[in-house]
Amino acid sequence: MAELYFEKIKGDSKGYYALIIFLSLVTAWGFYGFWVMFTQGHETTGMTNQVIWGIPIVNVVYLIGASAGSLIVSALSGVFGKEEYKVFSRMAALMAALMIMGALLDIFLDLGKIEHGLNTTLYFNTTSIFSWNAFLYTSYFIISVIYLIAMFERKDKLVKGLAFLAVGWAVLVHSGTGGIIGFIYSMELWHSPLTAPLFIISAIASGIGLFIPTLVLTFKFTNKPLDENLIKSLAKIMGAMIIVLLYMFCVEIFTRGYVPANLEMLRMQLFDLNTPFPVAFWVLQITIGMLIPLAMLIFPPTFRSVTWISIAGLLHATGVWFERYILVLPGLAYPKEVFPPGYVMEHTPPFEYAAVYVPAWPEIALNIGTFALIFLLFIIGLKVFELLPKTELLEEVSE
Amino acid sequence: MISRRRFLIIAGSATGAVLLGSSQLEKALASARSESSDPSKPLWGMIVDVDQCTECMNQLVAETGNPDPKPECALACDRENNVPEFREKKWDPQWFKMLKVRSNLEGSEYLWVPLLCNHCRHAPCAQVCPTKATFVREDGIIMIDYHRCIGCRYCMIACPYNARNFNFKEPLDGLTEINPETDRRGHGVVEKCHFCVHRVDRAVKEGVNPTPACVEACQKEAEKRGFEKSALIFGNINDPNSEIGKIIRTSKAKQLRPSLGTEPKVYYVNL
Ligand code: SF4
Ligand code: SF4
Repeated sequence: MAELYFEKIKGDSKGYYALIIFLSLVTAWGFYGFWVMFTQGHETTGMTNQVIWGIPIVNVVYLIGASAGSLIVSALSGVFGKEEYKVFSRMAALMAALMIMGALLDIFLDLGKIEHGLNTTLYFNTTSIFSWNAFLYTSYFIISVIYLIAMFERKDKLVKGLAFLAVGWAVLVHSGTGGIIGFIYSMELWHSPLTAPLFIISAIASGIGLFIPTLVLTFKFTNKPLDENLIKSLAKIMGAMIIVLLYMFCVEIFTRGYVPANLEMLRMQLFDLNTPFPVAFWVLQITIGMLIPLAMLIFPPTFRSVTWISIAGLLHATGVWFERYILVLPGLAYPKEVFPPGYVMEHTPPFEYAAVYVPAWPEIALNIGTFALIFLLFIIGLKVFELLPKTELLEEVSE
Repeated sequence: MISRRRFLIIAGSATGAVLLGSSQLEKALASARSESSDPSKPLWGMIVDVDQCTECMNQLVAETGNPDPKPECALACDRENNVPEFREKKWDPQWFKMLKVRSNLEGSEYLWVPLLCNHCRHAPCAQVCPTKATFVREDGIIMIDYHRCIGCRYCMIACPYNARNFNFKEPLDGLTEINPETDRRGHGVVEKCHFCVHRVDRAVKEGVNPTPACVEACQKEAEKRGFEKSALIFGNINDPNSEIGKIIRTSKAKQLRPSLGTEPKVYYVNL
């Protein structure tokens, strides 16, 4: 294969500027949402003393996942020596760095006392997985930036080494994030040794899911030919990961459900239609997020079309957002059973069964604004850095 | 190629390292099992007699006609520690909650059980706090440094007893009077019961037994109602001759959610 050269995009079309303006406006709205939360306190959110984490944290978990997935995609060429994947490894690395930045931003902006935020770096608590993650996330961000720079400088050996390091680090980061949920033994719906591996698998799947449409659209708007087989091989990895995910959900639910004490909370999560959880789980996460994309990858007519594969990717990426939602919220909505089994507690609000949490607009703005910021910086990045392969070369390659 | 000799050395030292590591691990794990008690080093704890609470609360419900009245102990806590009162329950911080509990057999009677920070010996909140804003004092009191707390709320998630509250609003907005003795804190941090640590420190300095505000209110209420004893007892668990030390050593006092191994220092009798 001929050596690849990369170029910037011109970025002077009307469409480009329109997109920049649109994304900036959404980002500004997100910032305004944050500002309201910051100045008026968390009373402007839908959270309560029972449901103490809301969708900003769901977003954090999601973005960390998608970032790790993106980085793994980017490192495929370095780690497995797959030259053909080099076409998008720069783009994917930038995406990874931007998404971890988005995640860090969301954690930070959701703090009650942002002014004290730097205390996490000043004081380290070795028994706190959160402390470890503060270290892991920032170092992960730095590694992905160095990796990106090494690619720009075409330091091939270094890139290869960093690719290994980055993948290893992504796995660490993800196990750490899994630990934030999985280590918590005060809630049965959180405590699970499967959370960390589940996180890694769905990170890869959702990273690819989000990356495929980004890749396809970027190449389309810049009029670059894209090798369909590349997309297909990525999609196959995603499909395999979805199957593993479905298997792991079954294992987790049945293992939990075997404990009589857990039946009631599982019933709430899976079947109580007075809560948003069954719809989020069965419809959005399982059906739309996993079964339909899987079917689209297995069914030959849809698998043949890059458009359909992109849609499958997008559906799955959305489904994984709801997977994170199901991971975080039902556990919080189910009251902690403080008294011995055999006792029933008359719950007083907000400590009650199926505690209500409706995200308020500042939280929603913060979430959407973060995505807008990520894509805004991404398209600016396309103009500033040499991220996309040179068109003529691609044509040569595909001939 | 690795020679046999080298292989044996490597294998031998690896086995040694594993054995050494596992024995260290075992020691660390075993240390959680037994507790020494040196009476001169106080370890503060509390005992709740659920029968007494239920009796008192039932009388209060009958007197006020309110099915869920706030008892004197909880009111005293609010006053002592500047715990604000908000009408919106989802934000209302409560350091000391009275809960209604009954057996799940139909027709069972209700018990009234107070819930406060259990001051766990192996406190999950301190375990997870990323900044060590939540920390354990030598005398076992679990404290929050409001200046260090970043408001991440991870401790509230980890606490198995719902003992913690987040300040969604400025506490001053929900206060009618202010006790200057307690630490001030703003919105955005987490707060909870600290056994009236200022009272404890003062009492220790004066060489007397400390009495947190709820315990004091409970004693007054018991006297007023003519009960034989009060429901809340506070003292040094390490001292086998203290009232609390004696009751715990009857082995009849229970901890909440014992299977988690958090080992609360708030014990319940007659639950
Ligand atoms: S009861 Fe909750 S807040 Fe109190 S020490 Fe235990 S874990 Fe911490
Ligand atoms: S909210 Fe404050 S006390 Fe609780 S874990 Fe976070 S920093 Fe620690």
